[in-house]
Amino acid sequence: MTRHAYDQALAIAPNALRAPWTRRARDAVILLLALAALVAMAVDLELAPGALMTGFGKLGRFLGEMFPPSSGGQSERILKALAETFAMAFAGTVIAALVALPLGVIGAKTVVSNPALHFAFRRFLDIFRGVPALVWALILVSAFGLGPFAGVVALALADIPNLAKLFSESLENADPKPLEGVRSAGAPPLAVMRFGLAPQFAPVATSQTLFFLEGNFRNAGVLGIVGAGGIGFELDERIRIFAFDEVAFIILLYMIAVACLDTLSRSLRNRLA
Amino acid sequence: MNVTSPAVEAFERERRRMLIRQRTQAFVGLAIFTVLLLVSFQRSQFFGSDIGADPLGRMADFLQRMNPGLQPDVLLEGRQTRGSLHSWFYALPTWLRAAWQTVEMAILATALGSVLALGASFLTAQNLMPFAPVRFVVRRILEAIRTLPDLIMALILVAAFGVGPLAGVLTLTISTLGGLGKLFAEINEEIDPRQLEALQAAGAGPLKKIRYGVMPQVLPNYASYALIRLEGNLAGAAALGIVGAGGIGLELQRAITYTEFDTYLAILLIIIGMIFVIDLFSENVRHRLIGLEKA
Repeated sequence: MTRHAYDQALAIAPNALRAPWTRRARDAVILLLALAALVAMAVDLELAPGALMTGFGKLGRFLGEMFPPSSGGQSERILKALAETFAMAFAGTVIAALVALPLGVIGAKTVVSNPALHFAFRRFLDIFRGVPALVWALILVSAFGLGPFAGVVALALADIPNLAKLFSESLENADPKPLEGVRSAGAPPLAVMRFGLAPQFAPVATSQTLFFLEGNFRNAGVLGIVGAGGIGFELDERIRIFAFDEVAFIILLYMIAVACLDTLSRSLRNRLA
Repeated sequence: MNVTSPAVEAFERERRRMLIRQRTQAFVGLAIFTVLLLVSFQRSQFFGSDIGADPLGRMADFLQRMNPGLQPDVLLEGRQTRGSLHSWFYALPTWLRAAWQTVEMAILATALGSVLALGASFLTAQNLMPFAPVRFVVRRILEAIRTLPDLIMALILVAAFGVGPLAGVLTLTISTLGGLGKLFAEINEEIDPRQLEALQAAGAGPLKKIRYGVMPQVLPNYASYALIRLEGNLAGAAALGIVGAGGIGLELQRAITYTEFDTYLAILLIIIGMIFVIDLFSENVRHRLIGLEKA
């Protein structure tokens, strides 16, 4: 662009390249206020730069100790814990799906058509939908004692309301035409369910359950920190004694396992869809 | 007498083969599922574990102990009176202070994480970062962060930075970087390329291209995602306290350790209220942002 054309353009539209100074001043003040608020919060939390520096020094040492990762001669025990974590996730998901299925049927608008009942049931599920597995685990560990049992029940309890909601939504979304078709052929109600509804519902529900299995495997990994068994317990123990080469070994193994399960589950879900 | 044509016979054969294949598939699937389920129940000691006598009774007992035993007639009495609100929420100022700390942790971590994610998103977006190895490395790092559960990261950072909010803020910052970096990069890849081309034709450098070609298109979307993330980080910050990363979770952990289960319930109620308020606020702001976008 020539100088002349530039001057001409600027004369025609003076605000095209830069906003008027009032607007720029306002933006600057807002930005400064936001920054000041963030700094004030950091000061309030006592996030001292000194602590940050020493912490990073320590973290660097930990990371240095992580290599090479080592099983510490306990690879069998670690693999067992990993299997236990998967077992917790799998058992918890299956139990959740089995319990959520009837709840989902009750929650579907097409089954229970009374709006007041429907509303009450949905809100009832909503109350429990917010409670994460970790909070359930804290409660259940103190009720059932340390071990994977509390973890399984915690995962199931956290999933049931969520799965029930998804199940009832997919039941509501089922196309009524196949059902009418089967019914018009003179089929009894059970056959209508089996041949009209199930082929639509089962793939969707299975896919959702698989998705929850993936999430549960991640959750199960941390439940051990509050004493609910599995890999989290082993990790917690080793971090406490600063055995970071073993920590790195477990984390790597766990991340590989998560990636494997995700890939497997995704390919299964793609086949269902 | 039945007369069957070869075509019908072929069809029947084909149909039988398909049915057999379907049934074998279903059978094999079911067998794998059953074995997995049995092994899972066995591994997780679901039936065999020693959970002590009368577990349901103990659950009931536990819920019973969560009941603060409020008495309607002394509800507004002082702290010493059993059954008053004050004796249930006996350390309310401390808890509110801890709850506010949790909010601060979530806000700081979301702000820091968003800024880092902004940088990472430009490094991973196909249309802005021409150098493929950089994209690949940054993307793998973000993936690794997303796979690592927050609590495990927090455990390590608490070991390094000590018990307190610093470890929590850092954990949430890193996990926000992992989550938002990916989302921001996806937004960057969906922008209208014509504006970038116009800037390129006018001879703008990469920074100018980002400033005038990308930012105006993506900023509302970024803000919307960052606010959703803030909601998640708040719940995360509350949970991280359990492993010593500061905030209200520390109080929750303390209540469990001292088996003050009515206190546990009180703090849980504060957390739920806190999350509810922030959700309302963030939803409000997000709707206004979307409204601005339309205008």
